[in-house]
Amino acid sequence: MLRPFFDWFQQLAFSVAFRQSTWMFAVIDALHLVAIAVFAGAILLVDFRLLGAGLKDRPVAQVARDAQPWLVGSLIVLLLTGLPMIMGNGDKYYYSDIFWQKMVVLLVAFVYTFTVRRAVAAADEGRLRPFWRRATGATSLGLWLIVAVWGRLIGLL
Amino acid sequence: MIEAVGAWLEWVEALPSSTAIRESLNGYPALLALHVIGMCLFAGLVLMMDLRLVGIGNRRTPFSELQRRLFPWQMVGMVLSAVTGLILVYGQPTRFFTNIFFWLKTVMMILAGVNALAFHKSTYRFVARWEANPILPLEARSAGVLSVILWAAVIVAGRLIAYNWWELR
Repeated sequence: MLRPFFDWFQQLAFSVAFRQSTWMFAVIDALHLVAIAVFAGAILLVDFRLLGAGLKDRPVAQVARDAQPWLVGSLIVLLLTGLPMIMGNGDKYYYSDIFWQKMVVLLVAFVYTFTVRRAVAAADEGRLRPFWRRATGATSLGLWLIVAVWGRLIGLL
Repeated sequence: MIEAVGAWLEWVEALPSSTAIRESLNGYPALLALHVIGMCLFAGLVLMMDLRLVGIGNRRTPFSELQRRLFPWQMVGMVLSAVTGLILVYGQPTRFFTNIFFWLKTVMMILAGVNALAFHKSTYRFVARWEANPILPLEARSAGVLSVILWAAVIVAGRLIAYNWWELR
């Protein structure tokens, strides 16, 4: 279904230049990884707090509010570095099951983080049973863990 | 000397345990994945602490609280990435020891470690005196900036090991 789309963006001048350069992919890949570290930090602070670990002396909402700009900022860098890697090597990703699995889980994790998780983290602590906070943190941790591991495996399989 | 080291590395690489890691179909990807997870825990939480030191993130949490609450998790991440990293190097010693980015990463890790240690042995000892200030002392901010730069360099160099542009021989 997406075959024509992949065929189209792969032959754009930018994609061709990106593919032919010896260093561009490597540099973008390295920046992607630095952004992963920042993103992971911002995710972990809040998920650990939801699970009752880490910054447990702080209200959840405060931890989440402080982490939010770094979460959003690093996510933007991840998209800006992730897209050129796909554009330059469309075929490789199109035929990779691991890539598509990562994309599906990424979409779920993204929507979940900015809807359910966000609402739970912002909710009054008296209004929600600790179980729901823990479940929300554990789900987020699990989803993003799959995204990270699958991302690492794309390059290998 | 270089020949002797080279011969020793080749001997290590020929050991059955080293060969087994290198050729393992599932073990090798699993090690790489665990190495990244360790990195996320360690570097992710160190960076969150650094942002507070620099004064651009997590500003409503006192620094000593971040240090106390995150340190155990940072150590879990460090042990995970160190152990998996050492096993990965053991599986391909000649590949890593001839790779310029591997040495760059090693040097950056040492510098980052020295920076963290120096901060804890000096500025951090008086944390109670300065952590309530709206702007942290220059020593604290510099340690934070240095830490971000050095750990980012470790991550970049680590990723570039895979792109062996300048092989040392």
